[in-house]
Formats: sequence, structure tokens, C-alpha cells
Amino acid sequence: MPDYAQPDVLVSTAWVADHLADPKVRIVESDEDRALYTMGHIPGAVEIDWQVDLQHQVVRDYIDKAAFEKLCSERGIANDTTVVFYGDKSNWWACYAFWVFKLYGHQDCRIMNGGRKRWELDGRAWSTDRATYPATRYAAQDQDAAIRALRDEVLKHQRAGKQLLDVRSPEEYRGERMHMPDYPNEGAVRGGHVPGAVNVPWPMNCNDDGTFKTAKELEKLYVRELKMKRRSPTIAYCRIGERSSLTWFVLKYLLGFGNVKNYDGSWLEWGNSVGVPIVKGAAPGGAVAEAPTAAQVS
Amino acid sequence: MNGVTERLDRIIGEFADLDGREKLELLLDFAAGLPPLPPEYAARKQAEDRRVHECQTPVFLWPEVEQGTARLRAEVAPEAPTVKGFVAILADAIDGRPVAEAVTIPEDMLERMGLADVLGILRSRGLRAILARVKRELAAQSGS
Repeated sequence: MPDYAQPDVLVSTAWVADHLADPKVRIVESDEDRALYTMGHIPGAVEIDWQVDLQHQVVRDYIDKAAFEKLCSERGIANDTTVVFYGDKSNWWACYAFWVFKLYGHQDCRIMNGGRKRWELDGRAWSTDRATYPATRYAAQDQDAAIRALRDEVLKHQRAGKQLLDVRSPEEYRGERMHMPDYPNEGAVRGGHVPGAVNVPWPMNCNDDGTFKTAKELEKLYVRELKMKRRSPTIAYCRIGERSSLTWFVLKYLLGFGNVKNYDGSWLEWGNSVGVPIVKGAAPGGAVAEAPTAAQVS
Repeated sequence: MNGVTERLDRIIGEFADLDGREKLELLLDFAAGLPPLPPEYAARKQAEDRRVHECQTPVFLWPEVEQGTARLRAEVAPEAPTVKGFVAILADAIDGRPVAEAVTIPEDMLERMGLADVLGILRSRGLRAILARVKRELAAQSGS
């Protein structure tokens, strides 16, 4: 049976249980619902929250390099620490935090396969003690442009007809579900998908217990059925870039895709942008060479 | 029996004095106190489309008006304790009070509790959507 491309990046709950007291290992919980950490977390785990800790509170962006260094220092994470991420929702937010750590060049990042759900199913202990560690000196790298796609790059990427994955639900992809009552600022003014994007909803990567599907299953889906090529540049997106960071993780670390980026602006940026091409319906649609401009329309 | 405003002011005051971690602990206490959904409601979950689709985790709400008084019944999955705690606070505050009072719950209650900063922009917006939905449905049912 084929193994994952980088099997060491995924650790089991047993591995984590064996490393709870390892000073070289820091366990980090990242959840959709941050009260879960308060309710109970893996003993010794620190929390890094995707909204409050990782996102800039004024600009729509991630925290800058200096703030990332401060965050790592406060959580007792040094440059040579092995950081193991886990969380709720099949590790959505764990993958998102993992991606941000890679964005700033942290060397040794892992995901605990199955996240909170698997830890619970394995009958392992939870703790409510808040873990604190001595501050470290942490030096981050500049952002790694190789894993982050910005809007204009996605525009060129789709024009060139390169591999593009939309990991949202089929309803969002088809453009049927964009109106969210009482979410005036969280929705997009247009529904649909980036031309050429193939719809692979993120749950297709995961089993019911929160673990990732096997290498064989993932290979069948992406490589044999969708005919995606490991060496071709690939961009994944969703609504705000969190579900697609899970797919990014799967493609890069479990399947060994050489050049894959997460478009974190995702549909909330694309569907609100002026003049970018959009396709509605179930078909990916072809690459659009030129976006219509106001001048062409009038 | 205190009115909705008095009840909410008391709850908001309790939260306001706590640090971030304590706020989440108190929210968990409220979550634990949300009464289970009466069995007769369970079958109506799908049929009546009570699901709040904006929430990724299953959340079912029944804002109800009986003889002019409001009540909120709900079922929230245990993996969403923040939503569960917030719904429990709303249910506590409006239970048995006139609808006219229930619909005055202030939009800025999360800010006043100091929860908005602890939860972040998107989560707070999600909770505000729940509040808006409860108020809207109560108003619609009371015919006001």
C-alpha cells in the first residue's frame, strides 16, 4: 500500500501521548469554537486561535512577522520546536494554523491525525489546566510566497488554464448558496466559482473519525479520477481560505504535489471583486482569457 | 420576576468583570445549563427547517410565542459550546417574558459582555445572526 508523500508530517494520537512531556515538542490546539480548548484540551497543549491570534485585527490579512514572532515566543515555541497542531472539524483550523506557521517558515510542523475527535475516540485524557511555558526568542522568516496565492496571481492562473480547486460545498460552487441571511458582510455579492476550478469539497479528504483518507484513496481521487498532475502548479480556495488550507495540506504533504498554493482571499475576495470572471453552475467552465471591463461592456 | 433588560444586564455585568478565559468558562456554564430539547420537538427538526444554516455545526432554534410571552427552545451540538452558551443566555433572558421585551435585546450585548474581542469578528457576527433571527421570528409570530 502506498504511503503518504511525507508521512512524518502526520502523527497519531499515540505519538502525541508519548511526547506530552517532550520539551522539544509543543502541542497547539486550533478550533472553530475556541471554547472547546477551555472545556478540555490535550494536557500541556497551548491554544492558538485563528481569528484572535493569527489574523490582523485591522487589515484583512495575517499578523505580520513581528507579531508572529511574539506569538511563538509567548507560547514557548522556539525555531527548532516540533509543533503539532490539532483541533475540531477534522483539523480544518489546525491545517490553517499549520499553513500560517509554514508561511513564516517554521521548520518542523505536524498535524495530529484525527484531531480532537480521534483523541476522544481513543479514550485519551483531557485537561483544563492552562499550559504556560517560558518565553523563547523566535526569529521568523519572511512570508513564503510559494504557498500563498494572491488574487492577481489567481487571475493569471485561471487565464492560463492551470489546476484550480474549489473545495466548498457543491451549492456554493454552483453559485446557488451565496445569500446568507443576517450575514451582510460575510457573504459575497456574486455567487459561483473561478472559471476552470474543479469542485472537490473538503470532506472528501477525511474519514468520519476526523482522520485523513489513505494515500491510495486520495491518489485515486485527485490523480486518477481528476487527472491532476503533481508537477503542475495548483491553487486551492474556499470561502475564507480555511477549508482550502486542509486541501493544500493534503496535496502538498500527503500526495506530494510540488507546487500548491492556498488562495486565502478565496471567495470572499473573488466574489466581491470588480471585473473578475465567474462561472455559475456545475461545470468548471473554461479559462477566461480576458475579464470584461466596464469599457468593453458599454 | 425580572424583565428581559434586568436579566440581561445582570448577565452582561457578570461577564464584563471577567478575563478572557473566565468569560469562556462562564459561557460553558451557561451551555451546560441549556435544557434538553423536549422529545416532541426532535421529529420537527427537519420538517420545519429549524436549522440555522449559517452555522457549520447543527443548531436548531424554536423561538415561540405563547399568549404573548416568549420562549426559546433549542438544540445545539456539543461541539459548538460557544453557540450553545449564547443560545442558553438568550433563552434564560427571554423565557416567559412579553415578546415586546424580548425583541429589545440589544445588538451590542457581545461587546458589552466583552465577548466580541475574545471570540473575534466572524464568530461574533455568527452569534449576532442568531440573535437577529430569534428577534425576527418572535416579532413575526406576535404579529407585530
